[in-house]
Amino acid sequence: MLRIINCHISTDHWRIELPDIFLQSGELLVLTGPSGMGKSTFLHWVLGDTIKHANISGEIHLNDVSLNALSIEKRCIGLLMQDVHLFPHLNVLDNICFALPSSAKDKGGQKLNKNQRKEAAMRLLNKIDMGYVGEHFAEQLSGGERSRVGLIRALANQPKALLMDEPFAALDPQTCAQVSQWAFEQLHTQGVPAIMVSHDINNIPPEAQHLDLAKYYRRIAS
Amino acid sequence: MATKIRRLTLSTGWLLVAFAAGLPLFGVILGLWPSVPIAWADITRFFAYKGLMSSVTSTLFLSLSAPLLALYVAFMVYSQYRFNPRWQALEKRLAPLLSLPHLAVALGLVYLFSPGGMVYSAFAGIIGHAAPDWLGLPRKSLLTMILAISIKEVPFFLLIFSALGRQLAIKDWLLQGRALGYSESASWWLLVFPIMLKQSRLALLAAMAYTLSVLDISLLIGPNIPELYAVALYNWQTGFTSADQANAFLGNLLLLIMLATLITGIYLHEWLVVMRLRTNAVMAKPLNIARLSRVFTAWLGFFSLLTVAILVTFLLWSLGWNSQSTLSSINWSPALWQDEWFFMQGPLLNSLHIAFFSSILGVAITLLALELQQQSQRYLPDYIWLLAILLPQLSMVHGWRIAHSDLSASYTTSWIILTHIPFTFAYSYLVLRGPFQSLNRHYELVAASFGYTYWQRWWQIRFMLLRPALLSALAIAFSVSIAQYIPTLIIGAGRITTITTEAVAIASGNEQSITAVYMLVQAILPFIAFLIASVLAQRIRGSFDATHH
Repeated sequence: MLRIINCHISTDHWRIELPDIFLQSGELLVLTGPSGMGKSTFLHWVLGDTIKHANISGEIHLNDVSLNALSIEKRCIGLLMQDVHLFPHLNVLDNICFALPSSAKDKGGQKLNKNQRKEAAMRLLNKIDMGYVGEHFAEQLSGGERSRVGLIRALANQPKALLMDEPFAALDPQTCAQVSQWAFEQLHTQGVPAIMVSHDINNIPPEAQHLDLAKYYRRIAS
Repeated sequence: MATKIRRLTLSTGWLLVAFAAGLPLFGVILGLWPSVPIAWADITRFFAYKGLMSSVTSTLFLSLSAPLLALYVAFMVYSQYRFNPRWQALEKRLAPLLSLPHLAVALGLVYLFSPGGMVYSAFAGIIGHAAPDWLGLPRKSLLTMILAISIKEVPFFLLIFSALGRQLAIKDWLLQGRALGYSESASWWLLVFPIMLKQSRLALLAAMAYTLSVLDISLLIGPNIPELYAVALYNWQTGFTSADQANAFLGNLLLLIMLATLITGIYLHEWLVVMRLRTNAVMAKPLNIARLSRVFTAWLGFFSLLTVAILVTFLLWSLGWNSQSTLSSINWSPALWQDEWFFMQGPLLNSLHIAFFSSILGVAITLLALELQQQSQRYLPDYIWLLAILLPQLSMVHGWRIAHSDLSASYTTSWIILTHIPFTFAYSYLVLRGPFQSLNRHYELVAASFGYTYWQRWWQIRFMLLRPALLSALAIAFSVSIAQYIPTLIIGAGRITTITTEAVAIASGNEQSITAVYMLVQAILPFIAFLIASVLAQRIRGSFDATHH
């Protein structure tokens, strides 16, 4: 479970006091609000990135473990941005292998070798009928394919939560609707709690929680 | 009529830039034409030359290892500074640090760390007795060459990485890598290095081609028996006998084969490294060397300190210090400067004259090349413009010398300026291309909407916005010209002396104090150029933002 409590975001000019957030496995929270209100900043703070243009405080707990003192790489939180940043020197399979935990083991408890890791990555691709892009590089994929591979790569890392920063904003409306629906199903099936920043409130699944930052925005009198 | 004039102007422009960019290739091709008939006996005699194999292998080893070492160090420095507040300090100091001539770094290291050097003597003073010779840096050896070149090339690679970094989404890749559970240093190696390595091919080739045929520092700090290949080739090229001329022709061929070997080496190294890193990425295995990068957090301080130490050492030597001195026993005196000033004036004026004109012309032709490409909407590949730094100097200058003799040309500074232009042009191109191509076109669109003509816009907007970058390019071109040794020596045939040719000639002897005087002057000239450029650029920044790239 992902729990964010007592969270405050502030700059010299405004302040947001967020309500406490509780996300069970597979649940999705959609953050909306006008540009410049700190949505992405909030995501980066949860991820553990250094925040430069605002002050954020609060407590983050993931499965009852406090994350505040942990660095990004120790938090087990995945990130999916608008440009999913598939690494350009690695093909799709290798991108997914890069995300597979180094400790991944086979059924006999043995660490996977190189070929087994590639097979595991291919299985993940085949699950979504995208095995045909395994040997492709990022620039050979369409926008929709890139988003799908980005999510598969993020999930291959077995994150305990996922943060999505307008992940489908660059897609055309039809593809956006298809890919986002598919992505929410994947997250729900795998039981990964997720927070998504979005401007598009039409594609939010009905069961998702919704947090509009504008409701909590307060100007600071100077 | 207007169209005809325009076409004629464009053709003349293309001819001029083709001349500056193509002169190196012309030299190499001309050098491949034997000046004497070559018989089988010449070939067997050439390959029987004593120490040839050893000379070739040590030169190849040096040319591969020193630039690669510099590249790795530069990458680790870059990874430690890029997303850190220290980056701005590094970017500011990069150009002046880059301007320190290779020769000054090479001899500076010897003056500091060889047995009898300042640091060595200071160490001996601390421990109370003479330190063993093996603790010092050998005065002439392959190791000394590798150290000097690799230390000197680090700022060059940093400049290249800095330009590359602006075009890559490094910050996002690192964030993505960390979100997938990798440390920042592991992400740098697994995600950024393979791409930077591929995109640094030309820079690596430039550094290797330079090392392959560098003559001045090979003469002064390179191994003696056998000498490095550039020294042997230079001796053949300047020999008068037909045997020497035959050796020069065959040696030139061999030099180009060595260059081809180095190019193969670049690709082979890249393939091996990318394969290895890809395997590590697939196996989710961070590199063991990733932690080593942290050592290079102190690089800027170290390099700045080394630069100051080198300059101070030359200054102390020029004022009376010697290897037997202790600080209390030295008779400090500017007498050497007063004595040498008389001899130095001619070379100094020649250096300034040649550097002034060749840098201005080099930068002007660069602007022309960029403008012509912009107008034709077609940018030619970089290697075409950078031939002067991608081909070995000894080969191209050998061809130029043949043409110079065949034309019965005079030994004047004009010819030297002409031979410096391809180098000042290539370095200016390297510096100006980025700012020129990434200028925000909207400024000119706005000016056009006010009714300004193309050339009015070019002069009043583009040129004015480019002024800070033009000043940097001028300073770099000036320092490149000051440090030129091979073209000045060979085309000037000893009749035109510059600070650099005099410094090498004196340093070949045993006069360390006089050498220090010349080295200091050679090192300070580029610094003055950068100082002037930086003062002028700061005045310009009052009205324009210089960081538009």
